[in-house]
Amino acid sequence: MAKILIPTPLRQFADKHDALEFQGTTVGEVLSSLAAQYPELGRQIFNDRGKLRSFVNVYLNDEDIRYLKKDATPVEGTDTLSIVPSIAGGSTSIAEPPVTTLSKDEILRYSRHLIMPEVGMEGQIKLKNAKVLLVGAGGLGAPLGLYLAAAGVGRIGVVDFDVVDFTNLQRQVIHGTKDVGRKKLDSARDSMRDINPNVQIDGYDVALSSENALEIISAYDMVVDGTDNFPTRYLVNDACVILKKPNVYGSIFRFEGQATVFAYPGGPCYRCLYPEPPPPGLVPSCAEGGVLGILPGIIGLVQATEAVKLILGVGESLVGRLMLYDALAMKFRELKLRRNPECPVCGDHPTITKLIDYQEFCGIPQHAPEPSFVEGDITPQEVKARLDRGEKFQFIDVREPHEYQICSIPGTRLIPLGELPKRLNELDPNIELVAHCKSGMRSAKAIELLKQSGFKKLRNMKGGILAWSDQVDPSVPKY
Amino acid sequence: MIKINSDAWDTMVGHAQSTFPEECCGVMVGTIDGAAKFVTTAIALENAYQGKQEDRYEIRPEDLLAADKNARAQGLDLIGIFHSHPDCDAYFSKTDLENSCPWYSFVVLSIKGGKFDHANSFLPNADQTVAEKEELIWPKS
Repeated sequence: MAKILIPTPLRQFADKHDALEFQGTTVGEVLSSLAAQYPELGRQIFNDRGKLRSFVNVYLNDEDIRYLKKDATPVEGTDTLSIVPSIAGGSTSIAEPPVTTLSKDEILRYSRHLIMPEVGMEGQIKLKNAKVLLVGAGGLGAPLGLYLAAAGVGRIGVVDFDVVDFTNLQRQVIHGTKDVGRKKLDSARDSMRDINPNVQIDGYDVALSSENALEIISAYDMVVDGTDNFPTRYLVNDACVILKKPNVYGSIFRFEGQATVFAYPGGPCYRCLYPEPPPPGLVPSCAEGGVLGILPGIIGLVQATEAVKLILGVGESLVGRLMLYDALAMKFRELKLRRNPECPVCGDHPTITKLIDYQEFCGIPQHAPEPSFVEGDITPQEVKARLDRGEKFQFIDVREPHEYQICSIPGTRLIPLGELPKRLNELDPNIELVAHCKSGMRSAKAIELLKQSGFKKLRNMKGGILAWSDQVDPSVPKY
Repeated sequence: MIKINSDAWDTMVGHAQSTFPEECCGVMVGTIDGAAKFVTTAIALENAYQGKQEDRYEIRPEDLLAADKNARAQGLDLIGIFHSHPDCDAYFSKTDLENSCPWYSFVVLSIKGGKFDHANSFLPNADQTVAEKEELIWPKS
């Protein structure tokens, strides 16, 4: 029997008690009784294997039980047990000693690697000691995570703050239908652990930023970039150059992909290839332009191959070569890349020596203003009400024909934005016109174009057919 | 959300600046109302790390235990831990995460060139794999 003082944050799991008495002749027994009566509190102090969590210290009166008889320390009715976390930290990490052996299970698991002279025990141990950071658990991150874990890369960090969505499943094979709505990190971690429980997986539930990139990346040997946007791509590049870590790069769009290795000592970086980002909106993302679901599989696995080759130190890496893949032609080509001595980040006299504001660099406003209701906008509900009242107006859909096939609003006429200038004669400038697209961006451009062509009564349906599905007719599928 | 009153904040910043360029540590005491935490007192503790303290800190469990007892005696709660990052941003480093505990708020103060620069608060998980950022409110002078 002994009294246990419950730390403030744990009282919520103990019916708000600040102290409790439990039966038992040893510290171990008393703590087990506590965990049995308050299982949630038990989970806070014991791990899945029933051991005290690493940060939990138990004090008997004023003495740490580690210096007494640990779990077997006897207790009496007058004793008080305290649960005290051990807390430490610091701005830098300390390196762990490398492993030099494989377990019997690992030898069996990696046997097809071990019998190849290019890998062997030595190579497999290199893989086990390797630390690779995946930026993004999406299209490219999915095959990367699965295969790098399977290959036995010892430590894999994953940076992703997104949630699995139905539109991801067409290509992001690390996530399943059951995972929709879960954090991508959790889903990816489960898949990777299932494939190889020997791998340490570090999850970073954050957006990689100028504030955290150096700290996160510094703990790894290399970065594999699976990002889908320019600010993060430049951020990853610059951070890798500054930290002298190779950046295994890949990008995908529709049927085409690219891959190379940047920031390898002496080799080029992303800025040597693309000194300036494209103007915002010029290069469509996969969400805007689409992507063949299989494509990230090919490109991601080219990246995984390059990462493994760099770790093993075998073969000829893609340093200085940009591999281009065209799925429609089923052709691989390559371009030579050279380090630019004038490069602002990896050149002979770099002008960028620390991370900058990449949103600003890429011309993206820090906080995209919520598009407000501007004059000329009309809500889907209002359009519906006017249709129901039988009002006469021209209702045009400026999306592409293949989008129109996915879904459409009855009563609309399809005039894709690109064809609009030469099809103006199909429209009457004197009758009111309402335009819509998928989400309202293209129709706004259409309205602008029509205004310049002398049309007067113009309305843009705010939020496009996606908003129509939300607000008027949920039977219209969203894509 | 964790809100720190001016007395406590002065203690924290003062301690962090006076120990610069070494890391400092301490505890925050106050009241809790659901997810809202109000820090009324900060107590500076000795950095018990054996070695160079420029980028490491350690809190002696005895000190934590004593601070918890003191707080209880005053009817207050031990809410969080603070420490400083000298000449470094206020992120939650891997070392911080691996030596954390999920029961408290962890406030990190960035001290640059001996002066307070910025601060963040974090809530680590039980597996010490992820620390979520928590809204931190301090009195702006």
